Amino acid sequence: MNRGGGALGSGGGPTAAATAAAAQKQKALLQRVETDIGNIVDNFNHLVNVSRVNDPPVRNSQEAFMMEMRASRMVQAADSLLKLVSELKQTAIFSGFASLNDHVEQRIAEFEQQVDKSDHLLSRIADEAAASLKELESHYYSSAQRANQPREP
Amino acid sequence: MDGKLEVSIDKLPVKRLDHIEENGAERYPADLGYEEKRLSLIRKIDFAWAVEKDDKKKQKKSANESSTPWQWQGMVENLQLAHQELSVIIDLIKTVEANNAVSVVSSTRPKPSPHEQLSDLAVSAATKLQCFLQLSKYFKQSAKALEQQVSKEARFYGVLIRLQQNWKVKRQRLATTAPSSDGFTIDLFDNSIYNPASVVRPLSISTLRIERNSAGMLSICVPLKSTRTLHFTFLGMQAGVTYGKSNKLKTEALREDKDEALGDDGSVKKIHSVLREVHQAIFDEQVFDLVNREAFNPSLGVSVTGIRENCLQLSLGHGTSVAISLELSAADDQSAEVLDSHDFGTENLCFDSVNEVKSAEGKCDSFDKEIPYHACYEVYLQQIFHEHVFLRTKSRDDSATARASGQPDKDGSNLLSHFCMSLAHRIFSTKVLAELEKVVSGVPYLQLMSHPAWHSRTSSWTLFMRVPASIPNSSRSNMQDFYHVKHNIPAFRTKVVVTDDSIKVEGEGAPNVIGLFKGGLEDTSSINRYDCDLAGLPVIILQQVASQIIQWLHEEALKVGIKVTRDFLRLSFELEQGETLSLVAHVDLDDPVGCISWWLVVDDGFSEEPNLHSEESEYKRFLGYLSLDVLSSTLMDLVSLCN
Repeated sequence: MNRGGGALGSGGGPTAAATAAAAQKQKALLQRVETDIGNIVDNFNHLVNVSRVNDPPVRNSQEAFMMEMRASRMVQAADSLLKLVSELKQTAIFSGFASLNDHVEQRIAEFEQQVDKSDHLLSRIADEAAASLKELESHYYSSAQRANQPREP
Repeated sequence: MDGKLEVSIDKLPVKRLDHIEENGAERYPADLGYEEKRLSLIRKIDFAWAVEKDDKKKQKKSANESSTPWQWQGMVENLQLAHQELSVIIDLIKTVEANNAVSVVSSTRPKPSPHEQLSDLAVSAATKLQCFLQLSKYFKQSAKALEQQVSKEARFYGVLIRLQQNWKVKRQRLATTAPSSDGFTIDLFDNSIYNPASVVRPLSISTLRIERNSAGMLSICVPLKSTRTLHFTFLGMQAGVTYGKSNKLKTEALREDKDEALGDDGSVKKIHSVLREVHQAIFDEQVFDLVNREAFNPSLGVSVTGIRENCLQLSLGHGTSVAISLELSAADDQSAEVLDSHDFGTENLCFDSVNEVKSAEGKCDSFDKEIPYHACYEVYLQQIFHEHVFLRTKSRDDSATARASGQPDKDGSNLLSHFCMSLAHRIFSTKVLAELEKVVSGVPYLQLMSHPAWHSRTSSWTLFMRVPASIPNSSRSNMQDFYHVKHNIPAFRTKVVVTDDSIKVEGEGAPNVIGLFKGGLEDTSSINRYDCDLAGLPVIILQQVASQIIQWLHEEALKVGIKVTRDFLRLSFELEQGETLSLVAHVDLDDPVGCISWWLVVDDGFSEEPNLHSEESEYKRFLGYLSLDVLSSTLMDLVSLCN
């Protein structure tokens, strides 16, 4: 779990209370993880233990119930682990400031580059249009066609 | 036990005769074995009393606790009953054993045969196996469900992360969030220029909610009729014609059912475009707000003529008025508004509501060349506000200079007037260009050159006239060869510069009119600058050109060595006996053939000033609309005539 680095790295800036709260939270989450995993392992153990085939059929049906119960407990623990993971993902999304800032700055640089490029393109287009206009005008006005053309109303 | 003791009386253990056979033998019933006697004795014991007692107790209890039937109640009662019976039997056996009447031998089942054992084992194994199979099915199902959930979450968070790279995503930890939403919102509001004290209109939308749609994927919900875009229209230039513009993008509201077909990339792109549209709508609203605020500061060139909730009408002078309005996006706009004549399906159509003709973009200009295309002014309006207000605010924040936020920036307060004046200038310069083109089309040897000025309120043109090359043997050297020095080819230029709505004409080589009247000819080829208005522009230009021609002819004649005098539009040669022969230029803008025509006038010094408008007489002859080569050869002819 690499969250330890992230949480402790941000502890330098905020106050001691915030650091303590962060450490507490981290501890709680770790606790949850351990509980869940312990649950899963435990239940699996019991499941395997109960799996032996016994003589009296009574015991077998008793064991069948036990097995089902252990299995559902395992699935429950897995589900809560997954919920924990999604909570962690959420926290990561909303707390990864360093990478977000980097990305934002990168995007800003990209966009500024694009702004410059667009500006250059626009000025180039303008220059080309002006040059074309000049050329066309001089061609038109010095053309023989115009010299012979009757005046337009 | 109650007080009553029931006693049962057995038969006497006397052998009684069972039956007598035919041969007289007597048969007695067989002796019961020891075991059988014991068993029959035990069977005689009646346990009913114990069972009844328990039943009564149970009824009492159930009478007390009949409130909530617990689902395990029945099982518990059965177990308790079984426990009771077992305890009774064990007590009995102990009592009997204690009385040494009987010694209990553990009764075992008969030893099962291996076949039975194996079949029992097989059955147990089979049931266990069944149980395992069920468990495995259950595990597989739940694994699949969890995997699906994980992948859905992964996709959702993947999309969310990608959105977060570009937009501000916020999370609300509310306990009462709706089940379909996790409390994520996207905040689109740019509060860098937000000044709560001076806001004129509140924004219609600033945050959007992120939801999970039916497939668990991320979707944005945009309320209908909440986004508006900035529109710009010209009013009153042609009655009844309003040019509208349909929506910038072909937007559909985010259709959830098509999302899966698109895949993650497609849906992210779509969400980005939806968010960008809303962002632009917010920007448009802010620009409209700023325009409103500025419109009511008194400033040059702008006056407000009408105001509605989402529309501002301005008058720019010279009979032009424009309307800046916020219109609903095309996808939302179903109501009948003034600019209802949008075509929603395609982009950028101009709609002529009078003639009901749909025309393509390029043909808009042919309807009326005087009206510039409105889209460029929308963009210009947005651009100047963006540059001066938004970016300046950001750079101001960045440089961390402390300034009172209530004071508007000096440049910022004049943006609207700058914009309106640019627009007025554009319309005016179009008119000026029309006049210049009219003039140029009337004079074949005059050329027009445009100089695009990259300033929105200045335009300039040059009228350029090339003259034929002069005679090489020129004796005049002290003449300011203005045009020879400056240009490689002999030519006259007249520059027309329009700033806002004032016209300045600079003529090269044109005589200073006042200098001529004073009689001084020396400084006649300087550059003159003067102002004029639109009505007088063509005439002034024609006169300028004509006088430039006269100047040129004058120079040519002087090179040859002939004494000529020059008036404003007349070149006079002296003949014998005091007669003068003059070449006079006549300027008429409305002449269908050409604007500059030439007359030859003979003046004997006694007659009055010839009236060119009178009939042709022996004193004057109409030469026609001569080109410059013909003029120069005419001049040579006249020169030879004078010699």
